[in-house]
Amino acid sequence: MSDAPVIRLEQISKSFGEVRANHNISLDIAEGRILALLGENGAGKSTLMSLLAGQSQPDSGTIYFHGTPADFSSTEKAIEAGIGMVYQHFKLVEAMSVAENICLGRSDKTWLSRKGLQRTVSEIANQYSMQVDPDRLVADLSMGEKQQVEILKLLFRQSNILIFDEPTAVLTPHEANNLFETMRQMKKDNKAIVFISHKLEEVMAIADDIAILKRGEIVGVMEAAHVSSSRELAEMMVGREVLLQVDHQRMEPRQQVLRVAGLKEAGLKDINFEIRQGEIVGLVGVAGNGQKPLVESVVGLRKVDGGVITLLGRDSREFFSSHSWDKALSYIPEDRQGLATCQGLDLLDNFLLTTRQGFQTGPWLPKNEARQKLQYLIEEFDIRPPDARLMAWQLSGGNLQKMVLSREFYRKPRLIVAEQPTQGLDIAAAEDVWNLLLKAREQAGILLITGDLSEALELSDRIGVMYDGRLVNLFSRTNEEMIEAIPQMMAGLI
Amino acid sequence: MNVEILIPLLAAAVQSGTPILYATLGEIFTERSGILNLGVEGTMIIGALTGFVVAKATGSPYIAFVAAGLAGTCAASIHGLVCLVFQGNQVVSGLALTILGVGVANYFGTPYVGMNAPGFDPLPIPILSEIPVLGAIFFSQDLLVYFTYLIPVLMWIFLYNTRFGLSLRAAGEYPAAATAAGLNVIGYRWLGVLVGGFFMGLGGAYLSLAYTHLWTNNLTAGRGWIAVALVIFAFWRPGRAVFGAYLFGGIMALQLRLQASGTQIPSSLLLMLPYFLTVAVLVFSSWWRGKTDEPEALGTNVLPAD
Repeated sequence: MSDAPVIRLEQISKSFGEVRANHNISLDIAEGRILALLGENGAGKSTLMSLLAGQSQPDSGTIYFHGTPADFSSTEKAIEAGIGMVYQHFKLVEAMSVAENICLGRSDKTWLSRKGLQRTVSEIANQYSMQVDPDRLVADLSMGEKQQVEILKLLFRQSNILIFDEPTAVLTPHEANNLFETMRQMKKDNKAIVFISHKLEEVMAIADDIAILKRGEIVGVMEAAHVSSSRELAEMMVGREVLLQVDHQRMEPRQQVLRVAGLKEAGLKDINFEIRQGEIVGLVGVAGNGQKPLVESVVGLRKVDGGVITLLGRDSREFFSSHSWDKALSYIPEDRQGLATCQGLDLLDNFLLTTRQGFQTGPWLPKNEARQKLQYLIEEFDIRPPDARLMAWQLSGGNLQKMVLSREFYRKPRLIVAEQPTQGLDIAAAEDVWNLLLKAREQAGILLITGDLSEALELSDRIGVMYDGRLVNLFSRTNEEMIEAIPQMMAGLI
Repeated sequence: MNVEILIPLLAAAVQSGTPILYATLGEIFTERSGILNLGVEGTMIIGALTGFVVAKATGSPYIAFVAAGLAGTCAASIHGLVCLVFQGNQVVSGLALTILGVGVANYFGTPYVGMNAPGFDPLPIPILSEIPVLGAIFFSQDLLVYFTYLIPVLMWIFLYNTRFGLSLRAAGEYPAAATAAGLNVIGYRWLGVLVGGFFMGLGGAYLSLAYTHLWTNNLTAGRGWIAVALVIFAFWRPGRAVFGAYLFGGIMALQLRLQASGTQIPSSLLLMLPYFLTVAVLVFSSWWRGKTDEPEALGTNVLPAD
């Protein structure tokens, strides 16, 4: 590291009630370097960054800015000091143009002219070889383009300390590469960059320094050059050896649980496949290539007109008019906070959302019985905190997902549709989810929709690739040749 | 219908549309900052009474007009207090403000019922009022009407060409983005509520100082509610508000003339016309699937520390 760090954190602590989110954290952020902040969900990464961004104040400890104690008591002060955040959920006004978003909150000029805005935006965009049209409405942009707008906002404000909160979570691999290119260029411009992530490969690829957070404390800071493998990082992160490879044993597929024939629905182009009990069929592809309408058609959220879907041997229309709550279909939606659970209900009520028929007697719903059942599931699935009275919003993403899985597996499904089941989860939680899915395979056929290729390769017995509403190919996990070609299929080149 | 009837009718449309236009512009300004103020009716009538009383006391309609605007600001500040300080429900607070405003105005206005006050009289603009047709419709009005030719333009410039307007719109669209940009969202919402209340007060004052020069109970007669509906019809754009307001002004003027002409249609049905039209424009606006400028975060509260 070169000179005095632009930001130095010393003995920073922050608690929320009894939860120690950050404890005695000391960290240097240097100009011209990329610092990766690595940690599981709930390790305290976001809290630490909100302290820097002026959104909350530490209980104790000091933040030094260029060697002198600084006061980041408001977002304005943090912005003034040159700190800029690229949030995971973009802070962009959808109904405004790119240029308006970028100039929002700039403090010098009273009058805004469209021409002037355009010119300034183009200048910066060109400097970092980004291609965005200043006049376009943000609502019309792709995720990657929106992120570029977020970054341009910070560059426009001449932020020198840029903090990226899990920036690649929403990007395609190609867009992620562009982002890394931009980050390298910023590094050359001597900006300090903090990169928050739990994706080990990315951290290895881009970071100069790596700080590992675990349960609110820094457990290690090292130069990326001295790290031998991502496995080493993973061990430090979770404190035990993470089996990134699950034990996948072949199973003999039994009777058919799902058949999709000639499905032409909302941009889908003649989709045909079947799933048998005992196998996982993983569909990969860049989001927006028809996965959504396919899933909606299979789980009954969309009326099927073109094509035939047969579930457990019955036509879908017949199936959904009278299907049993158990031993049938379970759906694990991508949107676990919206579609899978009600945020304002407690875990017991959320549990009963799909299992109530198993408990009801006449018009009554005996909750005690359900509560005991749930308490048992909470222990078995290690849902934390283990309290059925908590509201769904009080659980972290990983624990909420485990809650959804426990509920759905309790129904002993024969067909499971799992959509991005490990998105946003840390390694340990993802591994749990993978093992649970593999175990569920003994009783069920599983349709797995994922954007994560490694997840599909780990879990699937057969892998399909979706592109532009077509199921490009469907092949066995042992077909090495096809697996090699997946990236090209995802990009529509084959 | 010949020209001799049509021109006075259109002139009357502009005149009776003007109080609604003031109020609609006020509500647009408020809603653009993200605050839904259903207290337009109450704010207007408080402005109307204040204008009337001040005009009577000082003899100056100009002082009275400004006072009415300030009274509107005061009334709206109650809504601001509830929504921006205490995080109250915006719908309930606005409804309460309307009930409060109408009650207060009727109570304190009773002694003035039937009295006269100095107000604004038609002031034809030289040269412009000589233009055939248009001159008689638009440029033979009173001063307060002329103001409304300027205000939508100024409001548009403010909203779309200054950084303050950009910030105010951001506060209404996506407060989190505005906060992340270092803007004081609560401050901009106060601006929206208070300035919007000022215009609503002016709209009320138009009724007591120019439309009529006397005070009667329940003077606003639902015009505040029409303004709320017009905001939707206007797609939250100041320019479109002008057309909407004159459309309603036209209907109001028309039904008055029909009543005066001794038509067979029952007067109660004619009186319903503007409100029937309100329902019609709301149906039209919800049927319309094109782009409106409805603020995304309209009606949601923002925590100060957020």
